[in-house]
Amino acid sequence: MKHMVEMENVHKSFGSIEVLRGLNLVVDEGEKVVIIGPSGSGKSTILRCINRLENIQAGTIRFEGVEINNKTDLCALRTNIGMVFQRFNLFPHKTVLENIIEAPIQVKTLNRQEAVKIALQLLERVGLAEKRDAYPPQLSGGQQQRVAIARALAMNPKIMLFDEPTSALDPELVGEVLGVMKSLADEGMSMIVVTHELGFAREVADRVIFMDQGVIVEVGSPKEFFENPQQERTKAFLSCMRH
Amino acid sequence: MNLDYSVILSKLPILLQGGIVTLKVSLFALLIGMIFGLFGALFRISSNRVLNSIGFVYVWIIRGTPLMVQLFILYFGLPQLGIKLSSMTAGILGLAVNTGAYVTEILRAGIQAVDKGQMEAAQSLGMSYSKAMVRIIAPQAVKISIPPLVNQFIMTLKNSSIASLVTITELLRTGEQLIYTTFRSFEVYTTIGVIYLIMNSIFMVIANQLERRMAQK
Ligand SMILES: Nc1ncnc2c1ncn2[C@@H]1O[C@H](COP(=O)(O)OP(=O)(O)O)[C@@H](O)[C@H]1O
Ligand SMILES: [Mg+2]
Repeated sequence: MKHMVEMENVHKSFGSIEVLRGLNLVVDEGEKVVIIGPSGSGKSTILRCINRLENIQAGTIRFEGVEINNKTDLCALRTNIGMVFQRFNLFPHKTVLENIIEAPIQVKTLNRQEAVKIALQLLERVGLAEKRDAYPPQLSGGQQQRVAIARALAMNPKIMLFDEPTSALDPELVGEVLGVMKSLADEGMSMIVVTHELGFAREVADRVIFMDQGVIVEVGSPKEFFENPQQERTKAFLSCMRH
Repeated sequence: MNLDYSVILSKLPILLQGGIVTLKVSLFALLIGMIFGLFGALFRISSNRVLNSIGFVYVWIIRGTPLMVQLFILYFGLPQLGIKLSSMTAGILGLAVNTGAYVTEILRAGIQAVDKGQMEAAQSLGMSYSKAMVRIIAPQAVKISIPPLVNQFIMTLKNSSIASLVTITELLRTGEQLIYTTFRSFEVYTTIGVIYLIMNSIFMVIANQLERRMAQK
């Protein structure tokens, strides 16, 4: 199977603090990887290095076999990588529809008609067709996050990165966002998901990764990982999460 | 008490003419000052060290010296170096450079007040830094900057009275000339005050409406 993302011995520091300490991770096409781990362990940083929102100090990252380095056309790279943020980051001065068509028009130079057509299909898919003319602050958190997913999908990315997409949501709104993510997974999208939703990990993930202090501590299928974790730190974290 | 505004009333057209000069000087200064401020802010947020330093020094010098001294340098000082500016040019330019420094700081603060996640979201969608700046960050920064900008515009309009000192016959200077012939200081100065107040009030009303319209979005 084709490798989508390959990270080899990746080191990333902020000043003198080393946040990723020799990280290795391969994600195949169509694969769904869930990353869990305590706050500050470097989960967001992994995602942000993949689309070069952060630059790494050492190691290599490849996307579809091509190393992403200083010579990479960042705009082209990022067009292929969809990202969904914990705090949605919708553009508050644009309507829902404008949020979604902005990048297709500005980056992919689609004409407005095509862009709107795609956007409306995506809004339909995330169940928010009737909100097309609303402004983000008028929406609930769950609705905003679904719009953010639609916005990322509008670029037709090859992989989607989710950084704790439900952590900022009221509990009753988590389900609608996870629902959209599940349907995306069912359609075969490659996904890397940082989340504390263990139920989602169990149901959707091909592999679950446990991170702590900038390294991968344990990797396994959901079944192995949740029923029979090997590492003490994993066990401690899981029992913590369950209580 | 012997207050007599009838003298002023008959000379009102002359005062209003001065008011028009004030308005003209201020509007030109604002327009040019906005352009200076826009570039100043772009320089200040730029990662280019040279541009950044230029922006910093500009704001530092202008905010740290009196407007009157700045105008005097332009109008009385520069001729010594062989650069002769008309009083109008010196007045507008000085006021513009001064306004620009404050606008620089206002816009810089506005840009930096926009959530960092906005730039990241735009970039993660493939937008370039400059495109994201123009399409995503700037509209939000402008909205944040409107109240302090309005404040600065009012300051500039009032500061234009200092242009009288480089012999521009704007509202204040017109009034002073009127006092030489009428000896009615109180009446003239209060009338001038009222004219300033009216000009600023009109401006504030317009600004309020603009703000309200933007807030609806
Ligand atoms: N821009 C930054 N500057 C300095 N330190 C940062 C920055 N971003 C993240 N960090 C630090 O890096 C570590 C890992 O952060 P992060 O990847 O966000 O962790 P997680 O997502 O697992 O909670 C944390 O200690 C955090 O404080
Ligand atoms: Mg995080």
